[in-house]
Amino acid sequence: MIFASKMPSLRIDQSDLKCKNGCDYFGNPQWQGYCSKCHRELLQRQRRAEKASSATLPKPEQKKPERGIKLASHSSFSKFEEKRLRQSETLKKANLLKFSVFKKSSTDEHDHTPERKPPEFKIPALINEGMKREFRVRFTNLPPQVDRDARVFVHSFIMDVIKCSNVMTVDELSERVQRHYQHFMKYMDTSPHFANAESEIKELLIDFVEKHAMTYLHDLPGVVFSPIGTEDERLDRAMSERIQQLSWVGEKHLECKLDRTDSACSQLLYKAISELLAVDGAAGPGGKLSRVRRACRHVLALCGASASADDLLPALIFTVLKANPPRLVSNINFVTRFCNAQRLMTGEGGYYFTNLCCAVSFIENLTAESLNMDKKEFDCYMAMPASIGGSTWAAALSLCGAAREAAEQRAAARALLADVATLRAEADLLAANADSFEKEIAFKVNDVLANTPLEIKPRREPLRLSSLRNSSIPLIDLETPVDTPAPMKPSEDIPQIKLPEIMPVEEPVTVTFDRTTDEKITQNIIDFQSLEKPSPPKSPQNQPWELKQTGSFELLTPSPLGFTPFDSRSIDELMTPDDFGSDHLAPGLSNINYDIDLSDFSGDNSLAEDTPKEPKDPFSPDGIKKEPVFDPFQPQTSQSSYKNVLEKFDEFSLIDSKSNETSEAFEVVHRTQDSCTPAAAEEPGDPFSPVQKEASILDDSGSPTSACLLPSPLQPQTR
Amino acid sequence: MKVVEAKIVVLGSQGVGKTSLVVRYIGKMFSKHISPTIGASFFTCNINLEDARIKLQVWDTAGQERFRSMAPMYYRNANAALLVYDITSANSFASIKGWVKELQSNVPDPMILSLVGNKCDLESCRAVTQSEASQYAASIGAAYCETSALHDQGIDQVFLNTATELLKLSSSSLVASLRSYDSTEYDEKLPIGIPSEERATHTGKIELPAWSSEFKLGETQKNMCC
Repeated sequence: MIFASKMPSLRIDQSDLKCKNGCDYFGNPQWQGYCSKCHRELLQRQRRAEKASSATLPKPEQKKPERGIKLASHSSFSKFEEKRLRQSETLKKANLLKFSVFKKSSTDEHDHTPERKPPEFKIPALINEGMKREFRVRFTNLPPQVDRDARVFVHSFIMDVIKCSNVMTVDELSERVQRHYQHFMKYMDTSPHFANAESEIKELLIDFVEKHAMTYLHDLPGVVFSPIGTEDERLDRAMSERIQQLSWVGEKHLECKLDRTDSACSQLLYKAISELLAVDGAAGPGGKLSRVRRACRHVLALCGASASADDLLPALIFTVLKANPPRLVSNINFVTRFCNAQRLMTGEGGYYFTNLCCAVSFIENLTAESLNMDKKEFDCYMAMPASIGGSTWAAALSLCGAAREAAEQRAAARALLADVATLRAEADLLAANADSFEKEIAFKVNDVLANTPLEIKPRREPLRLSSLRNSSIPLIDLETPVDTPAPMKPSEDIPQIKLPEIMPVEEPVTVTFDRTTDEKITQNIIDFQSLEKPSPPKSPQNQPWELKQTGSFELLTPSPLGFTPFDSRSIDELMTPDDFGSDHLAPGLSNINYDIDLSDFSGDNSLAEDTPKEPKDPFSPDGIKKEPVFDPFQPQTSQSSYKNVLEKFDEFSLIDSKSNETSEAFEVVHRTQDSCTPAAAEEPGDPFSPVQKEASILDDSGSPTSACLLPSPLQPQTR
Repeated sequence: MKVVEAKIVVLGSQGVGKTSLVVRYIGKMFSKHISPTIGASFFTCNINLEDARIKLQVWDTAGQERFRSMAPMYYRNANAALLVYDITSANSFASIKGWVKELQSNVPDPMILSLVGNKCDLESCRAVTQSEASQYAASIGAAYCETSALHDQGIDQVFLNTATELLKLSSSSLVASLRSYDSTEYDEKLPIGIPSEERATHTGKIELPAWSSEFKLGETQKNMCC
């Protein structure tokens, strides 16, 4: 503690302070009692001696063993130290261990190459980057040369300090650092780059430079922070113990007007203490200073409205006693030595720092008199174990800590609550949106349905089948839809034709159609299905039929897939003996069938096909056998009418009824064009169209099933 | 315009009204900046003279006797000192003498001293006569002034006088710790170590000039340019 010995109580006779060499200068304990000049000369002599004897003996090791060991931790920066270390290494194998511990980066070199050149010390690029970034943010108006200058300066500054740190005492190093600051300031004053800069900007710049250089150096062990060769660390411990011992010192002893029962008071104290504790965490001297400043402001607020220096100092002492900041002495010394002296001497930070120094000094030299108490009592207190004293304040502070934690938790909870509220609001909004959207859609659907009645559906085949069977209506009726060329129109045409036929059979169905919601549509479809099912059993031939229907579905699927309808894969895979009525037929034969069928029935529209198919089915029993082959393509035809439903399915898969295995998913190809375009244009080219026609023969089974099949994959499996 | 930055330290026994004096002065100049609810012991203020501006940093000190030993830390590098005593207390005046001796022995640089007798509104209780005080002030080369922080009397005079003296000081002699922004005085503005007893014993900064000769100026300059 530098200031400690300034205390009058510690005054020493002047003769004791003179240099040991007897020159007229003052000596310094850190220079072993020499003045700096003599000490430096001594050091140089020693160094020369070391160099001379470097090959033989590790003199420095013997001289200052504790220093040599410590140096190992950061000596990679100095040629000198490395040499020294290598000597010790060759002599003592045990030192190798130290090397590997402290110098991971260069151990390999150390082990094998005695003549290796010293590792080039590089300042991490991180510093440069960090400086660049911060410069851009903080000094937007300054030209880039200034940025560059600052970085170059920091670089040379760091290098120089590291280089010197091993050969200089702390105070020499401190002087050098101060010189660097001064030179930078001078440079700023003279260089054209800084011509436009205000003096405030310059001060900010020097702070900026100091911050970056020192932040880096601070973290290097033993270079600037509690450097080697000083007793900072020991003093830290001593101070910490001392403060612990003095924990019984209360506000009354120091005569500061603190009210321990006042919660605001203890909260301020808590804040001040936490700032003081944070001093150690700050890397640069500037950062440490600002922490001290903040702490002192809290302390000042603690003292009350009319606080003055008379109140500040005792309160600060009290705060330091309660805080017991880690590495207090090291921090203070670090700031005193390496903070830009200009700032330390002046300004608020300097003032408060001085106060802190005073407080520390006071604590260090605290006696019974300084507390205005009886010597005996004081001794008694000091003899008391540290754990006893200061319980009231400790309790108050821990309460404060708890209160603060609680406040933080409360704040967090409040934030969460707010989040929940916003979430809820958003959810409500979403629900409202959904509602309105639903209504809108419903309205639109209603609208659309009102404009275009849904009578399309009655036109479906299942109805006809049943009606056909019941009423045996002649083909003529069914052919009429074939004549209707446009697939889009059927809505109008069909109702005219079909409704009369269907009406008797399924009145309820038509009623449901009028209703508009989607659900009902699907219901309708289901209704259809249910209607269909009963129909097949009526005819005795239906049993094989149905089987074939299912087969047809399986075959159906490939057709939408491919433009190669006779793809061997589709047929081979799907054709099972069951599918085809004749087991003995080879798959190849079925292919032949396809071809024939194509040629026969080319020229039919997809929509139109539906209708003709139906009538033929019941009449031609022969066709039934072929059904499975041709049915596959039917769904396309029926698609047009069920487009709205079908479009919802992009793919579907079939489940093999026997093995219950699901086949590959099939993509549904929506072909609007096919259905819309007139048959004449595409059909001859379309491989599908003929097939569809053939399917039409089998219509009974094909069309209804297909209709139901595609939308609902449930159906096809039903056998 | 010339700008002089100076540090002024307020010394005196406890209860003589050091802080009130300063607060009264500063508070009047910058009523906005000083919140009446928060105490303060560090102030800055600018005093504009005819051809220069003096930036004053006022360091208030703790007056308690037990902190007396810490005073050197406060007045180190100070350029001026306000020696405040209470005219109703002979003791406070006596302690001023102690302060002056200490300053004279510890501070090598010329310093502007101002002897301030505060609480002159309590004329009836006066314990230190005006003549005695002024005589003493003259003997130590200090300006003498009686003030009343309560009634705001004479305080401006004290600071203005100090500022004028500081300006004179900055132009007449080379005071290292007195920083002034004059284009020709850059070398002077830096607080180079002051050869004072207490510093020499602990930090050895007395050796600074020797170092400066060894320090290679070209080195850093060169580094910075490349």
